[in-house]
Amino acid sequence: MTHEPSNRREENALWSIFGYLVSGLLFWGGIGWAADHFFGTTYLVLIGLLVGMGGALYLVWLRFGRE
Amino acid sequence: MRAFVKLHAEGDGFVPPSTNDFNLPPITESIAWLTKPVLLVFLSVILVSVFFILSSRKAAVVPSKLQFAGESIYGFVRNDLARDVIGHEFMRFVPYLFTLFTFVLTNNIFGIVPFLQFPAMSHVAFPYVLAIFSFGVFHYVGIQKHGIIKYLKEIAFMPGVPKPVYILLTPIEIATFFLVRPLTLSLRLFANMFAGHLLLLVFIMGGDYMMHDSHLIMKLFSPFSFAFGIALTFFEFMVQCLQAYIFTLLTALYIAGALADEH
Repeated sequence: MTHEPSNRREENALWSIFGYLVSGLLFWGGIGWAADHFFGTTYLVLIGLLVGMGGALYLVWLRFGRE
Repeated sequence: MRAFVKLHAEGDGFVPPSTNDFNLPPITESIAWLTKPVLLVFLSVILVSVFFILSSRKAAVVPSKLQFAGESIYGFVRNDLARDVIGHEFMRFVPYLFTLFTFVLTNNIFGIVPFLQFPAMSHVAFPYVLAIFSFGVFHYVGIQKHGIIKYLKEIAFMPGVPKPVYILLTPIEIATFFLVRPLTLSLRLFANMFAGHLLLLVFIMGGDYMMHDSHLIMKLFSPFSFAFGIALTFFEFMVQCLQAYIFTLLTALYIAGALADEH
């Protein structure tokens, strides 16, 4: 059950990407949701989720796409 | 849904397993905290200790079967988890990773051992505590290696980005490292053990209920429920090993990340 080092890097990347996507959605989606509550609107949570997704994907690209 | 089930389960009808099946009563009335999961955790510590002390006590160049079994598990954690993931500093972390792996594995497998049959990790408090340990370890080694300011800076500020973008990215990075990582670590283990135990309860209890039902057709289908329960038990064994492996692997990955010179 020995793995190639490159295999390991991919595994590592997989879990990091998962973490980034979850926290991007959670944080900016949460901000959007709170703003919706505060302003009485309904669309800010969607914007928050999209911003979080975009930010998370950008982070993933910064960290794994540039090499 | 709940009302429907209740309606359907009038009289001595089938009571589906629920979260109540996880809240086991204390073993003696006088000690409120001494429940079955607590006892199982103690038992697992004793079992793991005794097994590895016995298997390593009379260590020989030509190993006995017991020594071989113990060394295989140790070798797996040391080589495939610690060394491959962490790199040249790995020996420092082998004791922790090894303890973690064997402890979680033993407790998970208790879920399908006859008479024990309860995975302690299906109580969320146990995975939480383990995740807090791992959380402490990987942040501690990061701070120890880089110093607290440089370590936090490396987490929060990805290099090579225009400054205003940090408003967008820094919260995501901080949330990842301080919230999402420990939470996913513990919840993954908890949810797998919880769902697996519930699944087994449904099929075994369902089969039992159908067997004692007065309708012939129910009796006829009862063996299928039991057969599915047995098949799922093997499936659960796989999940239990896998979850112990993943918990340890992720801890090792986080340690490796904290030790790395840059992202």
